[in-house]
Amino acid sequence: MIKNLFFVLLILAGFQLFSGCKGCSDADRRGSDELVLPDSLITDAPLKLSEEIMNEVIGNISSPVEMANLFKASGVEFTQRILNDPDNVSRYQTSFKRALNLGVFSADLGYINTFDKSNIVVSYLLAVNSLADGIRVGQFFDFNSLRRMASSSSNLDSLMEMSVSSFNRMDNYLREQNRSNVSTLIVTGAWIEGLWIASNVVRQSGDKDLKIRIAEQKNVINILEIILSNYTSEPNFADLAKDIARLKEAYVPIRITTELGEPQRIEQDGVLIFIQDEISTVHYTDEDLENIMTIIEEIRTKIIS
Amino acid sequence: MKKVIISLFLVFTFGIYNTWAQCDESVRKAALQGMGDAQYIRDYSVNLTKSPTEVKTGQVKFNVMLNSRSQYRFNVVNGAANADNIVMQLYDQDRLLASNREGGRTFAAFDYIVRTSKVYQLVFSFPGGQEGCAEAVVSLVRQFSEGEMNF
Repeated sequence: MIKNLFFVLLILAGFQLFSGCKGCSDADRRGSDELVLPDSLITDAPLKLSEEIMNEVIGNISSPVEMANLFKASGVEFTQRILNDPDNVSRYQTSFKRALNLGVFSADLGYINTFDKSNIVVSYLLAVNSLADGIRVGQFFDFNSLRRMASSSSNLDSLMEMSVSSFNRMDNYLREQNRSNVSTLIVTGAWIEGLWIASNVVRQSGDKDLKIRIAEQKNVINILEIILSNYTSEPNFADLAKDIARLKEAYVPIRITTELGEPQRIEQDGVLIFIQDEISTVHYTDEDLENIMTIIEEIRTKIIS
Repeated sequence: MKKVIISLFLVFTFGIYNTWAQCDESVRKAALQGMGDAQYIRDYSVNLTKSPTEVKTGQVKFNVMLNSRSQYRFNVVNGAANADNIVMQLYDQDRLLASNREGGRTFAAFDYIVRTSKVYQLVFSFPGGQEGCAEAVVSLVRQFSEGEMNF
């Protein structure tokens, strides 16, 4: 009897130990690093970005989805020539270049997906796949599934979701592996490429919403500059940080003011909708913007070279 | 032998206790479906484990960059073993902006229309500091042009 009970418990305990590890690997490790609210939120001090906070923020600084939607809304036609050329991938022989250009191609992929250009999406997926392999994060991209989705234009929404999700998982992994420097490069590359495409669309269309989006990146560039400054002991990072500092300088004339309105809350079709009471206004001139866009172009040319 | 059995019993029961704080892939899939027609931005795995010595309510925080003139959807799906529904709140530093718990009701999602681009904090907790797991998704419902923001 005791023997039987022993075996049953042994099997159950073994099963529990095994199943206890399922599904928790990424999230649990990350969860243990999370900040606890009371210590960090309840403060009168001005917003100061610790590295921990910046690492969390950086993941979605340059969402290709949000930028790409604005491109489409501008009414400007898709232009492949403004994107990086997948044939350039073979030129990127260092991890630094590969990571930066992985970000560049992720932004390009967002742009391509938004315009349903299924005929060229595979070559960009191949570029992403090759660069990701080059920095040992290829396991996050199920290339065969992505390619299958890309073969049908009706799947492009799913393709976008899957590729963004892959980038998110890769980003989490890099941070867990203490490779935030790589993650920073990918985000910087994607951010610059997003702004480069936006600059082109603005030059063609004069789209006001995109102009505002470029100008309000003043907040983001401060965060990027601080993050990059953590790694400037490495010459390539120091050089990139210098470029970002130059871009930050161009953002100095941009002013962002805020005013407080009334908070609103409505319930529509069972969904709660809150409308923010803090309203910001971005003040810029076309000359300010032209100066910013010129520097973006210079930095981008350097990244993809 | 009795000691071995007791030890194994403890390992077994601890195992059950431990799995409370884990969500499987089906929860994530349900959260992705819950965003509806909105466009996926990012998903978050929440695993809160109650420490026997913890006095404060356990919480987990994620920083998220939100852009002005955008309507975001924050939807969350609870793990099957959760004792209570998770509370999902959006903060601007120490200022609560939105919550899925309103007037005693808990919603699976809320939308937030952002009028100032900056870093916000998405905070998850269980009432009474309970433990459990959840999967949340932030998605983009729509973007407004400047002229559409007069509400």
